[in-house]
Amino acid sequence: MMPFPATLAEPRAFSLAEKLLFIALATTSATAFWLRVRGIFTKILQSKKDPGFRPSPVGKRLRDFVWEVLCQAKVIRERPLPGLAHAFVFWGFCAFALVTLNHCAVGLGAGFLAPSHGFGQVYFSAAATFAVACALGIFGLLLRRFLARPRWLGAKLSWESGVVALLILALMATYLAAFCVADGGNAAHLLWWAHTLVLLIFLPLIPHTKHLHLLLSPFSVFLSRGGFGQIPPLVGDEDFGLVAGTDLTQLVSLQAYSCVECGRCTEHCPAANTGKLLNPKEIILDLRSYLNELGPASEVPLLEKLTAPQAPFQCTTCGACEFQCPVGIEHLPILIGLRRGAVNTGAWADERGAKLFLALERGSNPLGIPAAERDKFIQKQGLPIFDGTQEYCLWLGCMGAYDPKGREIVANLSRVMNYLGTSYGVLRRERCTGDAARRLGNDLLFQQLAEANLETMAQYKVKKMVSICPHCVRTIEQDWKEFGTPPAVEHHSEFLARNAERLPRHESQEKLVFHDPCYLGRYRNIYDEPRAVAALAGKLVEAPRNKERSFCCGAGGGQAFLGEETGERVSHARAAELVATGAGIIGTACPFCHSMLRDALNSSGEHAPQLLDIAQLAARGLPES
Amino acid sequence: MKIIVAIKQVPERDARVRIDANGQWSPEFDQQYALNEPDAYALEEALQLKEKHGAEVIAVSVGPERVAAALRDALAKGADRALHLQCDAVGSLDALGVARLLAAAVKPENADLLLTGLQSEDLGQGQTGVILAELLGLPHASLIVRVEKTESGFTVKRELEEGWFQCIEVPAPAVLTIQSGGNKLRYATLMGIKRAKAKEVRRIAATELVKLPAPTAILERVTLPLKQKSTQMLTGSPKESATALIEKLKQEARVL
Repeated sequence: MMPFPATLAEPRAFSLAEKLLFIALATTSATAFWLRVRGIFTKILQSKKDPGFRPSPVGKRLRDFVWEVLCQAKVIRERPLPGLAHAFVFWGFCAFALVTLNHCAVGLGAGFLAPSHGFGQVYFSAAATFAVACALGIFGLLLRRFLARPRWLGAKLSWESGVVALLILALMATYLAAFCVADGGNAAHLLWWAHTLVLLIFLPLIPHTKHLHLLLSPFSVFLSRGGFGQIPPLVGDEDFGLVAGTDLTQLVSLQAYSCVECGRCTEHCPAANTGKLLNPKEIILDLRSYLNELGPASEVPLLEKLTAPQAPFQCTTCGACEFQCPVGIEHLPILIGLRRGAVNTGAWADERGAKLFLALERGSNPLGIPAAERDKFIQKQGLPIFDGTQEYCLWLGCMGAYDPKGREIVANLSRVMNYLGTSYGVLRRERCTGDAARRLGNDLLFQQLAEANLETMAQYKVKKMVSICPHCVRTIEQDWKEFGTPPAVEHHSEFLARNAERLPRHESQEKLVFHDPCYLGRYRNIYDEPRAVAALAGKLVEAPRNKERSFCCGAGGGQAFLGEETGERVSHARAAELVATGAGIIGTACPFCHSMLRDALNSSGEHAPQLLDIAQLAARGLPES
Repeated sequence: MKIIVAIKQVPERDARVRIDANGQWSPEFDQQYALNEPDAYALEEALQLKEKHGAEVIAVSVGPERVAAALRDALAKGADRALHLQCDAVGSLDALGVARLLAAAVKPENADLLLTGLQSEDLGQGQTGVILAELLGLPHASLIVRVEKTESGFTVKRELEEGWFQCIEVPAPAVLTIQSGGNKLRYATLMGIKRAKAKEVRRIAATELVKLPAPTAILERVTLPLKQKSTQMLTGSPKESATALIEKLKQEARVL
């Protein structure tokens, strides 16, 4: 498309006075820009070094950079229309880099691209196309912000965003208009000055507003920690997590300054959506204010400066925020870091939290039930004891060993494993994997639990583990690594999907909706396996929010043990959404999701769908034993 | 104020009780240990008094090397220093022997208050604290759920039966045995453990403290409770069977 067959009109030669004026204005603008940028970079660089940060693998970093930054793929995928509008603006800016350089050079009488022939002509015409797309994009975003006003952008209208949008529109308009006027005429001269002034006003606004993400987000995307929800190690005797400014690491500071305030994190946050105080975007902006106000050398507690100091403890660690963030902010290490700061120093005084920690300090499970109950279940169910000769160590976890429904799930999985002829055994004694302790920020307790379990694994020479609980799997697979080498572990959805072809189907046309557990999906990228298993016993339909965008059940991050929530219950919101699909069966793959949804369905009072774990669904077609 | 807390390490609650062929049980048969729960409450009471009034809290325990872990936990939770009375055969001591060791070790400290749990979760004799008071010639009160400091001593709340409490004045110094549940326990923190590294744990060989005579109480035999299930069907009219049930609950089960 070549909407402007004409060539770009350039101004006639500038007088010395004009050149001096241009130099003076440009220097002022660049200084205002640089002073702010330098201040921010200094704060980021003065922050603590990130323990455990490694630049490798560079290949993955480059891929993420190309895909998320250059292609804008994540921005478009998660919010298609505004995402596309943003991509047009972004690509327009990229195309304008050379145009702007030449534009300034022209002001000094040193233009290097000829508008009337060769590369210059082609480039300016192409840039004009980008300019049209960019103008349309920014106009769309302007309408969205000031007319549609999605609530995630915040209750307060951001006038600076309006001003910046108008400046961008003016930049594009003054560029495009230069195609419609005579080369070297007065109009071209005026347009050049108009474009220049807009440019020089816009430049210092970038680092003074959220448009700073133009500069920083490429870095924050490229320099991410890597794994999803990765909790960095604590180093030395004085590191207790994010306690004060001195604990903010370079990545945290970079990410805080990168935030573009789009509110995707909050839009998808189960806590923010059910009337809790937690608002992930607000936490990031609070950290930014802290850095602006007090800086990275401050000893003032971070929690004191949060809009809602108790907010980090309302997080379910579902990771929807981190998954959604288009500028590479890793919310989980920050939220868990703030919890670590409070728990590791004993500042968090929560009755149920303390009860949970004491139960784990003194006993084997977070429920505080005597281990004898687990023995009784193993005996009653006839589960074989792991002696090193079996292929799998079947990890029960607290829900599988003590919760009546969790036990049913284990019983069904054991039936399937028996049918398949897979050898397995359970440990005589398990201690909690430490998931809740880890996510709540109790590093001492987590370390004790991880080390005790790793010792047991070594003692029994466990090589392969399977578990019904995505929380256990994640914690064993990733978090234990900090203290040793855990055995290979898989979730029962992986085991069952691999063997699905050998399992008899339970022929049924009943509609079945599968609820993706956060710790299986977003944390481990497993979406197809549980669906393949669930499809053995029903006809799959999808909930509006599914797979990567699945909505949490409310149990994660230790919330299952912290008692009644404020506001609406997360589980009720999710259950209502699943019921609305009209499915007769809700399929789950996590005993915590199962428990939360069970309570929600029980209290809805309506004719509730059946709630079944994939192990129960897989066992449906088995011959009666 | 100086507060001494005597603590005991006991087999973890989930541990399987192992009895050898001679019907003997020793804490050393077990692998996993935890702080005796009433002692955890005694420590908590001491720490709360310290926070309110300022005090030096000293944890003391009798036992082999494993006991050091319990003392470290106490230091991590806020105790200022610890005394480890080293004794490998702690299982062979009776309550009097343990109290003698404790008395010899704490006497030079001249503490204002000595606390210990009401009883241990393994043997449950409830003797050590009160014998310790006797050996030191100090007043004592047992079953305490709350301690308040006064001008001359302490006002303590004592748990009686059937929901009754008794508040009594105790002069200082005194020995109190603490009942579980009076306070909310604190959890151990990473910061506490790191800070505890710099705190003093003084090791004293039990043999150097005092020469113990042969135990006066000997554990003859330990048996697991016999599992028995017996179902009785009560017949007759609802009134008759209810009367019979009440009679049985009173006379046989002795729960009424």
